Amino acid sequence: MSLDIIFNPGSICIIGASRDKGKVGNVILQNVSREFKGKIYLIHPVAQEINGIRCFRTVQDLPESPDIAVISLPPEKTIESLEELGKKGCKVSIPVSGGFGEQGEKGKQLEMKIKNICEKYGMRVIGPNTVGVIVPRVGLNTALTEIDKTTFPRDGKVSFISQSGALGLLSMDAASDNGMGFSSFISLGNEADVTENDAYDLVSKDTGTQSIALYLEKISDTDDFLKKSRDISRTKGIVLMKGGQSEAGNRATSLHTGSLFKSNFSLRGIFNQHGIIQAFSETQLLDYALALAYGKPVMGDRIAIITSAGGVGVVSSDLLENKGFRVSKPSKNLEERLRKIISPIASPLNPIDMTAEATDDQYENLLKEIESSGEYDSVIVFALFQTAGVTEGLIDILRSFNEKGRMPFVVGVLGGEYTKNMVRKMLSLGIPTFPSIERATDGVWALRERGKFMRRFLK
Amino acid sequence: MTIVPEFEFKNKIRELGFSLPRGFLVNRVEDYRGNFPAVAKISSDKITHKSEIGALIVDIKGPEELRESIDSLRTKFPGEPIYVEEMARRGIEVIIGLLNDEKFGKLILFGIGGFYSELIKDVTFKKLPLDREDASDMINELRYRNIFSGYRGLRTSEDIIVNLLVKISETWKGENFQQVDFNPVFLYSDSYLIVDAKMII
Repeated sequence: MSLDIIFNPGSICIIGASRDKGKVGNVILQNVSREFKGKIYLIHPVAQEINGIRCFRTVQDLPESPDIAVISLPPEKTIESLEELGKKGCKVSIPVSGGFGEQGEKGKQLEMKIKNICEKYGMRVIGPNTVGVIVPRVGLNTALTEIDKTTFPRDGKVSFISQSGALGLLSMDAASDNGMGFSSFISLGNEADVTENDAYDLVSKDTGTQSIALYLEKISDTDDFLKKSRDISRTKGIVLMKGGQSEAGNRATSLHTGSLFKSNFSLRGIFNQHGIIQAFSETQLLDYALALAYGKPVMGDRIAIITSAGGVGVVSSDLLENKGFRVSKPSKNLEERLRKIISPIASPLNPIDMTAEATDDQYENLLKEIESSGEYDSVIVFALFQTAGVTEGLIDILRSFNEKGRMPFVVGVLGGEYTKNMVRKMLSLGIPTFPSIERATDGVWALRERGKFMRRFLK
Repeated sequence: MTIVPEFEFKNKIRELGFSLPRGFLVNRVEDYRGNFPAVAKISSDKITHKSEIGALIVDIKGPEELRESIDSLRTKFPGEPIYVEEMARRGIEVIIGLLNDEKFGKLILFGIGGFYSELIKDVTFKKLPLDREDASDMINELRYRNIFSGYRGLRTSEDIIVNLLVKISETWKGENFQQVDFNPVFLYSDSYLIVDAKMII
């Protein structure tokens, strides 16, 4: 219905805003007012203004119906406000407080009331008990954590839907600090109205979203979810971390088949079949999503490794071979061409190790030769900026290879604060970059999985 | 929950065009018209782990041994039907199964079979119906998939596996079942044999 207004809201109303630092109502006010360019309305029974923003006494008094309302009030009061917002014509309400279904029967009845209000007025509710919704490109941020304790994301191509508020918000915090951008973050809370399938529909239609990261503990309609996924996965990458044990319900297991369908791992094949890549940690979840949003699908197992450190080449080879890649040798002809680019003491045999003699130019020429040779399906580049001959200029080379080249690739780095800054720069330029050897190999693995799934549409 | 008797289910899938060892319900040695070596077993829904309680006798080399085997089974399990079939030559052992899960619906399982199968649990599931890409993915999702391309003198081909998985999917996608086990299935270089098959409706 009207849920897509979160990608283009003209006005936001906050009920329960507070001028007392540290209170939830204040945190929300700070986060909403920081970057939002539309109108902000506050509802307060006595205050004339808070932080310079005018307050209205009731929802009824508002000069227009707000597109989005954020409510930070106790449960009973939340219900009253929702009723008023519905009546006023508000499109999407986000009640943040807990004390609903998670607290027992009485709370569940309150959630029923929310559902009824939604149906009565055609309003949508995200929550209750949600940590908020973030859409960086429109400055929408209703999160419950303070700016001095959190890195909020810049705009990007990954939408993140989470059934756990804190896990979602905090892992996004970590990824944002690395420089990863997001097109949206939706904490579903108790799902009194908007379910994971609704949110999934919403972000799948968003053209700014290239991949979708899902943290789900329960899937209410598995069949619908899988069908949707198969459709969405034609155009967008999907990564799912499924919390909790397998949902296998059938326990009539005097036969083997049923007893084998118990581990969480057994879902992998079913997810693959529907274009979903399964993640087993929050790091994998966001790394895979990052790779799928910014990288190209990998259509074969042959991979080239470019590095200026021998050990990095060795370790990445082992990790990649374990993931099903072939770190194959170049043909004699290609070997000769590669040899001309690098130092006499360096090795053109895959992994291609330029040694500490590496320069930006060597990176550039190696990439060109590897792409034009047709001998590899993907390439992993370790951009080790600590190498004497390597400069920030390498970023431009990688950017141009990413934008103009057709060859799938990911970049791996290793290092401290200086390197972290390089990662932030590369990510802001859309280069799929990962801050460790293992995570870079995970990234290219996700692109390989994507390629395997995509092959069925290429015939 | 009803268990379909083994010989009944095996006859049904044989009629559907699946490949199984020839087998006969016997009272006397003369009732068996297959080749040797043979396998004799009690055909009962109540008995699951047959070899552990002596309800299964393998590698019966001729009529005389078969007579002894039938006598021995009859003494141990009076009144139970006895089923004798040709003993399949050694192949790559896999397990294939079907499961109607209340959340995920109809699923197919494919995995490595044999002595350590329950220990290594190298299996994968897909939703029915299965297309050829899905079937080929099932092979690639197994950790020990290398076993198919040649191990200790045994090998099979991707086509054998894909054809069998897709045929099973096509046969059962519209049927009612709770669970089906094809365990083991022997894979050969150019054919397969469903050695054991059980169904719960």
